[in-house]
Amino acid sequence: MIDMDALMGAFGIMATSAGSWGWIVPGLIVGLVFSAIPGVSITMAMAIVLPMSLYMDFFSAIVFLTSVYTGAGFGGSVPAILMNIPGSPSSYATTFDGYAMSKKGQHNEALGYALFASTICGIFGYLLLLVVVEPLADIVLKIGPLEMFAVAIWGMLLIGSLGSKYISRGLFAAAFGLLLGGVGMNTAGFIRGTMGMPSLLDGISPIPAMIGLLASGQLLTLAGKDYIIEAEGSRTVSLSRILSGCWQTFRHPGVLVRGSVIGIVIGAVPGVGSSLGNLIAYAETKRTSKDPSSFGKGNPKGVIAAESAVASAEGGSMATMLALGIPGGGATAILLAAFMMHNIVPGPQFIETQKEMVYAIILNNIVQAIVLLFVGIGFIYVASNIVRVRTRYILPAILVIATMGTYAVEGSISGPITLFVFSLIGFLLVKFDYPVAAVVVGLLLGRMLETEFLRSYQLSGGDPTYLFERPGAMTIFGIMLFSMAMTAWGKRKQVLAEEAESAAMEALARQASVPEAEPGIKAGASGRH
Amino acid sequence: MRIMRQEYRVDRLHLAFVSIMAALVLWYLFDARSVSLSINNLLLVQPLAIATLVLYLFIVPQCFHRADAVPEPEAPAIDDPLQPKLPEGRALVRVALLGVALGVFVFTLTTLGFDVGILLFALATMLICGERRPLPLALYPLAVTVVAVYGFRALMPYPMVTALL
Repeated sequence: MIDMDALMGAFGIMATSAGSWGWIVPGLIVGLVFSAIPGVSITMAMAIVLPMSLYMDFFSAIVFLTSVYTGAGFGGSVPAILMNIPGSPSSYATTFDGYAMSKKGQHNEALGYALFASTICGIFGYLLLLVVVEPLADIVLKIGPLEMFAVAIWGMLLIGSLGSKYISRGLFAAAFGLLLGGVGMNTAGFIRGTMGMPSLLDGISPIPAMIGLLASGQLLTLAGKDYIIEAEGSRTVSLSRILSGCWQTFRHPGVLVRGSVIGIVIGAVPGVGSSLGNLIAYAETKRTSKDPSSFGKGNPKGVIAAESAVASAEGGSMATMLALGIPGGGATAILLAAFMMHNIVPGPQFIETQKEMVYAIILNNIVQAIVLLFVGIGFIYVASNIVRVRTRYILPAILVIATMGTYAVEGSISGPITLFVFSLIGFLLVKFDYPVAAVVVGLLLGRMLETEFLRSYQLSGGDPTYLFERPGAMTIFGIMLFSMAMTAWGKRKQVLAEEAESAAMEALARQASVPEAEPGIKAGASGRH
Repeated sequence: MRIMRQEYRVDRLHLAFVSIMAALVLWYLFDARSVSLSINNLLLVQPLAIATLVLYLFIVPQCFHRADAVPEPEAPAIDDPLQPKLPEGRALVRVALLGVALGVFVFTLTTLGFDVGILLFALATMLICGERRPLPLALYPLAVTVVAVYGFRALMPYPMVTALL
């Protein structure tokens, strides 16, 4: 299952890249701090620090960014438990029982449960990835351009359709992103959409565009507030009680395993990610529990289930990104951009030819999860104060760093200008309920998608029946159509259920108002029954 | 707006936004077609642009709401990180001002110099966000400027135009 030679090579890379170890703690701290501040998401944090990683060697850059990612997985749970405010969408389910435990004075234990579930399941997710990389490499090597095209289209459709309340807006955003990604010279040498600007010949610079869409565009909305959140005062933190919570996590192995498996599977599907995984893991744990009524009232299993899914989803989304080069969402899209900045394209070729590097990345992530245990405990002490940051201090600093970061990519003012334009687009996309992540992933995948489509066209000689010679591609297209139909059906069902519920509520309200206004009519109506 | 004897409220801002996006897509399609009609050029761009325009037709009706329709439940407060919404009133003015400040900052960076540009932008942002105390207004933008200029100068190999630092 594991290529031992490559594994030894990975240990060699880790031993010789001593400098990269130094980026683990700063990365974890950045991830923890940013994800603990509601409104400042993990993708924002990664987008802002991305240009800094440009000047590191490839392995150090990936170590730094994945450390940010790992830290953010746990960071969001601290305000979720202490203040009932999820630091990031992926910590939403943690609030259900985490805050209830907090209200009962068990916040230290809840933090311990969350931290240990994050650590154990983070390690579990990556260990599983370590084992499946080898068979995964054999499978992905059989993937041709048509299969890659099918997978990329499927990913885009999922990201588009699941990222918004409205499927049409999600798909529009995904298609718009793909078109933006195709601006400039394509593989066949045709130049489109550059408006005569030579700087656009290589396409729209993805990093300034991503920072604009994911970070600064959304930071602008914070200007209307004095504090990012009006939080409750900090609570007393006790190390011994946190450690006791950590230890008690072992009493629920079934919850840990279930949460991890759900997290890995959901994390591996593009467009879904940990923000849904934690809710599904929570719901499943509650459903299978002997005492479901205790959930939401401070059951530790709720915290463990939610956090285990968040932590293990990282391994799942990394599997898709490394094996296929398809990012699952904003955070992995930034990792993909970091790979591209170092002229490395993840996907079937990378996983086969750079297996040692793949193993080294996975092993380093396991190390990060262990280090998180120690950094996380220290972080809990300061976290409750971090969330009370005044926007007047945080906004100038972050916007300046973001702008300077885009300048640092190419040393040209076109970076900050791209940032500004995409900030406005990002701001409006959020306002009108379009999924920003779909535009970002489309922007990154547009060129690849067109290239694979062109290759498939050339291989098939323009014959559409070529599809029937590729069972893999047919299967992917089949699953894609099925999942799209299911998504549309599910959303339609949800809309109908909501309509029925609101109609029933209206009828109830009308019924309640009748006896007050016209008691005679009501009495008459009752008499007829 | 009255259509077929039915009164509609129009979300003009959304309609304008999505129409501009669709117009850009249409322009992109024509630009690509003007370069070459070869299939190697249009294989992805043409069907994707057409699909985008079809989706636009599905979105346009979403910008029209029946005037007598029951209003949707109040959107969650902006504090909810899971469902951000645009602030209103004075807060919206602050957001717009910050957007303008960011634009001015970006377009004048090389003219003013990075140090002066950052200093003025940080100062403007603090003022927009409501800071009025002179000491923080004097010290914090200065600190941001010094850290940003020296930090990025150490980090990147590209020259940075500065007036003072």
